[in-house]
Amino acid sequence: MINAFLVFNGQGQPRLTKFYTQLDTSIQQRLISEIFTLVSNRAAGSCNFLPLPPLLAASSTSNTSSSAQEQNDVPSLVTYRNYATLYFIVISTSTESPLALIDLIQVYVEALDRLFENVCELDLIFNFETLHATLGEMIVGGVVIETNMERIVAGVRAQGTVVKRPVNEGRGGGGGGLAGSLGAGLGMGGMVWHGR
Amino acid sequence: MCADPLFEKSLYDLIRGLRNHKGNEKEYIQNCLKECRSEIRGQDMDVKATALLKLVYLEMVGHDMSWASFHVLEVMSSQKYHQKRVGYLAAVQSFRPDTDVLMMATNLLKKDVAASLPTIICLPIAALPHLVTPSLAMSLLGDLLPRLGHSHAAIRKKTVVTLYRLALVYPEALRASWPKIKERLMDPDEDSSVTAAIVNVVCELGWRRPHDFLPLAPRLFELLVDGGNNWMAIKLIKLFATLTPLEPRLVRKLLPPLTNLIRTTPAMSLLYECINGIIQGGILGDGEDFAAREEVASLCVTKLRGMVSANSDPNLKYVALLAFNRIVVTHPFLVAQQEDVILECIDSEDITIRIKALDLVQGMVSSDNLLSIVSRLMRQLKASSAVISQQQNGFEGQDPETDSSDETSADSRRRRKTLERATPPLPDDYTVDVIGRILRMCSQDNYANMADFDWYLDVLTQLVRIAPAPRARDLDVDSSTPKLPGDSAEKIGNELRNVAVKVKAIRAPAVRAAELAVSRMNSEMSSSRPVVSGALKPVAWMVGEYAFQLLSPDDTLRHLLDLLPRVEYPEVLATCLQAILKLLAYVAGDEQASWTSERKTTVSLLMARVIHVLEPFASHPYLEVQERAVEFIELLKLTAEAASGQAASTDEVQQDPPLLLTQAIPSLFNGWELNSVAAGTQQNVPIPDDLDLDEPIHPNLNSLLSQADSLMLPTQGDDEFEAYYNQKPAATSMSSEPAITRLVDAPEEISSSYQQSEESYLDPDIVARRKAERLERHRDDPFYIPDATASGGRSTPIHSILQKENGPDLDIDAIPIMQLDLEKPNLSGRATPVEHYQQQQQPKPKPRQRIVVAADETLFGSGLSTPRSTAYDSENNNNNNNSSDYVPRPKSKSSKLTTTAAAAKKLKQQSLLQFTSTHLDDLSISETGGGGGSSGGGGRDGALAHERQQREEAEMALALKEVQRLRLEMQRANERIQVAQGVPVEGVVVSSRKKKMKTKAKTKKKEGEEEGQDGAGSGGDREEGVVVKKVKKKSGKKTAKVEGDQGAGEEGGAPVVKAKKKKVKRLVRLDEGEGVATAAVEAAGVEAEGEVV
Repeated sequence: MINAFLVFNGQGQPRLTKFYTQLDTSIQQRLISEIFTLVSNRAAGSCNFLPLPPLLAASSTSNTSSSAQEQNDVPSLVTYRNYATLYFIVISTSTESPLALIDLIQVYVEALDRLFENVCELDLIFNFETLHATLGEMIVGGVVIETNMERIVAGVRAQGTVVKRPVNEGRGGGGGGLAGSLGAGLGMGGMVWHGR
Repeated sequence: MCADPLFEKSLYDLIRGLRNHKGNEKEYIQNCLKECRSEIRGQDMDVKATALLKLVYLEMVGHDMSWASFHVLEVMSSQKYHQKRVGYLAAVQSFRPDTDVLMMATNLLKKDVAASLPTIICLPIAALPHLVTPSLAMSLLGDLLPRLGHSHAAIRKKTVVTLYRLALVYPEALRASWPKIKERLMDPDEDSSVTAAIVNVVCELGWRRPHDFLPLAPRLFELLVDGGNNWMAIKLIKLFATLTPLEPRLVRKLLPPLTNLIRTTPAMSLLYECINGIIQGGILGDGEDFAAREEVASLCVTKLRGMVSANSDPNLKYVALLAFNRIVVTHPFLVAQQEDVILECIDSEDITIRIKALDLVQGMVSSDNLLSIVSRLMRQLKASSAVISQQQNGFEGQDPETDSSDETSADSRRRRKTLERATPPLPDDYTVDVIGRILRMCSQDNYANMADFDWYLDVLTQLVRIAPAPRARDLDVDSSTPKLPGDSAEKIGNELRNVAVKVKAIRAPAVRAAELAVSRMNSEMSSSRPVVSGALKPVAWMVGEYAFQLLSPDDTLRHLLDLLPRVEYPEVLATCLQAILKLLAYVAGDEQASWTSERKTTVSLLMARVIHVLEPFASHPYLEVQERAVEFIELLKLTAEAASGQAASTDEVQQDPPLLLTQAIPSLFNGWELNSVAAGTQQNVPIPDDLDLDEPIHPNLNSLLSQADSLMLPTQGDDEFEAYYNQKPAATSMSSEPAITRLVDAPEEISSSYQQSEESYLDPDIVARRKAERLERHRDDPFYIPDATASGGRSTPIHSILQKENGPDLDIDAIPIMQLDLEKPNLSGRATPVEHYQQQQQPKPKPRQRIVVAADETLFGSGLSTPRSTAYDSENNNNNNNSSDYVPRPKSKSSKLTTTAAAAKKLKQQSLLQFTSTHLDDLSISETGGGGGSSGGGGRDGALAHERQQREEAEMALALKEVQRLRLEMQRANERIQVAQGVPVEGVVVSSRKKKMKTKAKTKKKEGEEEGQDGAGSGGDREEGVVVKKVKKKSGKKTAKVEGDQGAGEEGGAPVVKAKKKKVKRLVRLDEGEGVATAAVEAAGVEAEGEVV
């Protein structure tokens, strides 16, 4: 199962947090910053999987007594992908396929790209409701329910119109240079494992 | 920049404001929170929803919004979809297990699940997994089930998942919904994404209860073959991997499609999962169709090997290692074959890959590869620390005295961060982890894999130098993080001590390593700096306990005395105090040496020095330290007195040294040799039956004490205790292994490369010492080619190759050793040259292969003790190879998790983010699964539970109707009275009351006990009817009765009041009958009163 889906930017500012189990806000923030530290220290050409952040590693080793089966309930995999200025993180248990998760992130980003037409970080900043809606069409309660692009996009559109980024907040403009096209930065065809 | 309160900020304004307030965001956010607080309390729903959305945004950034939970409910109940959506989002993001308003949400959720608009239905369905509690699950189950048949596929698939999440907290939900879910799964016309969602859920359920899903195998197989959906196929394969162990016949069916997929699929993820599934599902195991399986096995392993090998994509490397980590449990031989490529991964630049490879390697350690594995790791550590020391000192480890002594550790760390980006040093926690793993691998199974303890000592000595610097300041030799009890320097020190205790043959060099450590610690620290190393404790213990093995006890004593005032940690201090006295006893307490005036002066001075150093500790706040210091000071003062009173021997008169010095003090420590004791053995010491702790130790203790001669303090007699402690400990011998296994050793090249490579991770001084020792050891060995001839043209092609590769730096001296490999023959069973240990003060030479590692002492019947290094005070909770005696100590790790107290508590019970699916273990749904599996009576009961509930609900509805009918009757009766008295009727109020009551009853009925339901429903109401009649009769009489009284008091006051009071009472009674909390009753009562007034 998927335990959490996170998006934050290169400065570690969260853009989307979704935890599929209830967690204290302060612990959420600690987890995010621990993962950010891990992610920002990755050398180029490293794999898309992170070692468990201390918070998770500590809690998963504290019950070593639990059986191998119960290990399936414990988050054991942190997958990330970096698009332009953003990091997408999936924390999951061992029942998910690691390569498929890389794809899942790709699907999510492509869906956003579809919805926003050439998505950039600004779109995500100002439309975080849409981010949630899109994720809600793909994952419910930690279980993946849809991976088909058309259906995801249709599902989000059915919930209302997707607002484009504010006109005066032009791409790369006022906002401090955060904007950068995800679509362009990502090389959408790049490294995909074709779970789809 | 506070906005004008008249013009509320939108989310857009908030974000823009945030972006425009770089630098003082905190203040800005506080202002915004303040605004939100007031906005959310207003009446305007739009403002409320906007404020909520802003709060959700701020929550994401880390600002608590739990205070707003009631407003979340308000917005959730809005009629407008876009507001409702914000409310639900806020609930998902901000509700925590302790959010109490959730109780009030039940009806709202029910209503929205039953809504007609698909978009609205989706909101509660998607939110429920985040909010669900057992009671909520129970009340909503009935409403969710029909949604499985909704015409929209999107709703069906979301409902399936939500039902699964309900089942995690309330297993009954699964029992009730499984038939319908199964029906969906079996339906070939079902929407493909609904099927995929069901497969996902079944896969999650599958690993917990594989038996229940065996009957589904045909349909799942069909989906796998013609599903055409890779995502689903991956999940199906994972599911089948858990099913095949239960149903071996599946294997034959599965093999063809899986091999076909492996050969044809373009999707790497599917390919990988196929391989993973085949191996995990035990399909590789040996069965009848051997040839076919052999083929599959080689296919899979070659593919995985390809993934791990050098040039492949890092992600593939990682997942292949992941797969190997799983395979190694069931098929260790398959993984062992890949040792070469896996070992390569240890040196990968990617730390994730390294750690995974290390996980694997730890389980693959044998006496053959231990050296090479540890060498690799040591080289990494050395390289990393070299980078650091280079930054500090400008040169690399030439001088071992300085290479890791970072006096300015914090400073250096900062520099390390900025400089040397090209070869970044390893992160500290990784270094600590690797050190822990090295120690674990070496000490595993009581040093079963350790072939060369001399080498191990050198590794430990080196490790102690490169252990990561502690936070603030740092020592060298034992530099590490002493703040935590489990810091790596202390672990290393403990290992050194363990080796010294357990391996007698190696004790002398081990003690010398400790000696060196102490002297380095002293010499390299500026005298003002406190000593914080955790390694000092075990090391000090060693030099004290084995003082007779020291090269220079006097110097060591001096070093310890110098160090003592600077030691920071009381536990370390206590050990050092003890060590100092032991050393003093050894240094000064020589019985044989004559009591010359020279000796007299030296000893007196020495004692004066010790007393001087100890004196400040007599008032140490830590009791253990204080007690020892006081004891030792007094003892030494006495001794000093005796020493000064004893005239020195002259040429004529031979004087003995004072007995206090030569007998009493040494005898305090010359007991029996201390051995390692297995964990938990202490608890197994039987309590003697006749033990009475209240009894005086001796009836005539005082006279005994006065008689006592201090010389007699140690009982040297043959008493039981001595017999007990002198018993030879059971020993595990290294030679128990057949020699033949050692003969099939690695080829010479490997051993030579290891010797050469030693220099790449050991400091030059250690290497030099090793070389000197070797030379010394083999001085008389005719097979050993001495220095002079080393360069004499004996080199073989291997040497020239090595030389070329290693450049001119290659140590020529090492070549003969490589060539002749004198270490290896030792292993193969020949006796080692006697000189080997004689040179090292070893009384008896021990052949290398017969090195005895003492097992931990245990007591008979102790279930906890096995020969494992227990003195090795392991804090390694993640020890993969922990044997049964391993007592996990989670404290050291979890102590880091000092967040809020509540959170910490929660963490102890359950990992962060963990889903708990244990409840499902007890659940059986196989009864509905059609035939096979283990259908039990429990399942039937469970399935019935839901029906029973439905029946009860129906009864409840009937009862409520009855109540309503009676109420109407009553009302009419009242009206008649009121009309008779000329008072207007208030029918409206009554009907609204009725509604309220109904909903309340509905909310609570499922939680409440079933008992007395009928009574509450119809019976109670009948009673009420009676009461009303009574009231009518007694209308003039005042009977004030307490609440809760079934007799329902009535007031004969003004008619209006009377009518209303009656309504209130009715509510009370009905609720009570159903066991509803009185709070609701009171609320109702208050409301009613308000109306009355």
